[in-house]
Amino acid sequence: MKKKLTVALAGNPNCGKSCIFNNLTGSRQHVGNWPGVTVEKKEGICKYRDYKMLVVDLPGTYSLAAYSIDETIARKFVMEKNPDVVVNIVDASNLERNFYLTTQFLEMEVPLVLCLNMIDRAESRGYKIDVKQLSEFLGISVIPTIGHRNQGTDKLLEEIIALTFHKTTNRKTTIKYGKEVEEEILNLEKLIENDDQLNKKYPSRWLAVKLLEGDEEIIKRLEKY
Amino acid sequence: MIGLIMAKKKILEQVTISRERLKHIYGDDTEAVFAEQRYGFISGIMRKVVSKPVEERLYLSDKIDEVVTNRVLGLPIFLCLMWMMFKFTFTVSEPFMAWIETAQGWIGESVATLFVDGSFLQGLVVDGIIGGVGSVLVFVPIIWILFFCMAILEDSGYMARAAFIMDKLMHKIGLHGKAFIPMILGFGCSLPGIMATRTIETKRDRFITILIVPFMSCGARLPIYTLFIGAFFSAHGGTVLFSLYLLGIIAAIVMARILGKYLLPGQPSPLLLELPPYRMPNLQGAIIHMWERGKVYIKKAGTIILAGCALIWFISNFPWNPEYSKDYESLINKTEAEFMTVSKTMDQKTDQYEDAQESFEKKVSELENERAFEKLGKSYAGRLGKLIEPLVKPLGFDWKIGVSLIGGFIAKEIVVGTLGTLYAVGEADETSASLREAIKKDTWPDKRKIYTPLTAFTLMVFCLLYIPCIATIGVIFQETNSWKWTLFAAGYTTTFAWIVSFVTYQGGRLLGLG
Repeated sequence: MKKKLTVALAGNPNCGKSCIFNNLTGSRQHVGNWPGVTVEKKEGICKYRDYKMLVVDLPGTYSLAAYSIDETIARKFVMEKNPDVVVNIVDASNLERNFYLTTQFLEMEVPLVLCLNMIDRAESRGYKIDVKQLSEFLGISVIPTIGHRNQGTDKLLEEIIALTFHKTTNRKTTIKYGKEVEEEILNLEKLIENDDQLNKKYPSRWLAVKLLEGDEEIIKRLEKY
Repeated sequence: MIGLIMAKKKILEQVTISRERLKHIYGDDTEAVFAEQRYGFISGIMRKVVSKPVEERLYLSDKIDEVVTNRVLGLPIFLCLMWMMFKFTFTVSEPFMAWIETAQGWIGESVATLFVDGSFLQGLVVDGIIGGVGSVLVFVPIIWILFFCMAILEDSGYMARAAFIMDKLMHKIGLHGKAFIPMILGFGCSLPGIMATRTIETKRDRFITILIVPFMSCGARLPIYTLFIGAFFSAHGGTVLFSLYLLGIIAAIVMARILGKYLLPGQPSPLLLELPPYRMPNLQGAIIHMWERGKVYIKKAGTIILAGCALIWFISNFPWNPEYSKDYESLINKTEAEFMTVSKTMDQKTDQYEDAQESFEKKVSELENERAFEKLGKSYAGRLGKLIEPLVKPLGFDWKIGVSLIGGFIAKEIVVGTLGTLYAVGEADETSASLREAIKKDTWPDKRKIYTPLTAFTLMVFCLLYIPCIATIGVIFQETNSWKWTLFAAGYTTTFAWIVSFVTYQGGRLLGLG
């Protein structure tokens, strides 16, 4: 009996996500639609060692603010389907912009692996990335890959499995928003933590931040309760 | 339970208070504060972890962009690339399409021998099913190759530039820069065009684009144009053809503005495009992309077109044995018997014999054509055509055109095929001289000619603008996921087509062109 797990691939457009997706799933792919909307949903199966992974390719987004359908879909999937691991693929030659999405995943406190893709191009441009230190700063595993040459795929798979079965864990990373904002976050967090229902479903700090940011979808959802 | 609701209310109240306070401190840019802090966090990490090269080089990507997104050169380069893509697609797919057609013909003939000649089953399987599946499969090479080219252009990073170049122009017509690619694709075929709208972020921009893509004159309308231009405008063929394509574009612009103003109000979302660096396109990725798209097309459009073709076959063939005004069967037998008696006395190698044989074959084929014509007239399709004649008469069309327009709903090419059957010239295609002659000769009951250059032009205009083919309708439903919008797309195009055609025809007559 193979052990099953679900892996979500997330990343900016043009980070080489589909390349990684193809490396993981080969031809065992299925294209459908996300329920209720007409954005394409790509899924594939990856068999590795004793494991059978369902790999879901989330729409490419720069953020998880729920402005566009793509962002809403990506966020909903991660929040509600609770994939075993979220692989955040970033373009190593364009880290500054790609990391914006990463910060949002960190705040969501999902099991995260960072895939430092196209590392060859970053190097050829003269960037030197201290992978070990990066991993320490973010509190998550960082795997360099070269998608179009299928390099680093096995390491990525090993890390996915290790994280799923708690051989490794993420360390909580907090982004500070400055004195006044932090005070308000604290105010809200206290109220959220008193509410079992919300507390079970969302990380309290993330929810507080989203509410303060005025995230319409989240506010709407609270109003519905 | 009430306690829970209270708690949520309390949270929301606190949110309002907190946001008010932050607004007081930071002004309207409260949201920006969060983004700034995140970027601060990022740049902190970047400084520690990444060592950058001392000076920023001008990378190859930027050098290419200097030329490709250049104010002056950008557009010509883009048009040139697009033209090359179409040229490549059509040239490469042509032999494949010819093979599929040959294979389809061969399979049809082989399968036909398995059934009793002229039987209902033979007609359904050979003309209905094999003919129907074939008419779908013929487009697969075009779709595959076009999507392959698109995947290459997209992977290389060029498509983002194309949208960037066109954005300004598109905003003037109330659309998004990204709407340009679907419109260009629509000149080939509406299906890939509508599918390509998926890259457009907001629902408003996407739906407007979906609704106007069918006005881009697709390849399937070409056989219709070829037939009528050949018959009536051979001297000014190019100009007429160009005017039709231009009319399609103008229609799209006008409708985009109207839809954007009244039905889907709002501003086109600003185009904030990242220009990804150019990179070598990945062959495996492009092939997977191409395969997936082709598969979806075969599956989805295939089922719809297949059912549609079977339906058209049914309504144009039933009732199977109507009451004919003449007994064709015995007339044909009689002609045959006459020929037999005459030919017995002749030497088979003489010219005389050949003449006799030729005239015999001509008579038989005339009788068969006449029978086919009468059968079609009495079929459900024929009755339907006569039923809708009052609707199309103000446009100068008779019932036969009405029927062919209904057929054109399955696929626009079928307009030509249906007219061919109706004019009883057997299997007609757009270059067949006999269909052109037959069309020119046809008259109304009062002996006026049905087809004048004005009618022909009006008909082409109508074919350009009216209801998109059934496969397109299917894709519109698939993409909008709404029957309401799908029915709207079918209805408003046809209404619009009728109005434009009416103005064209009646206006032309007033000017004395009819």
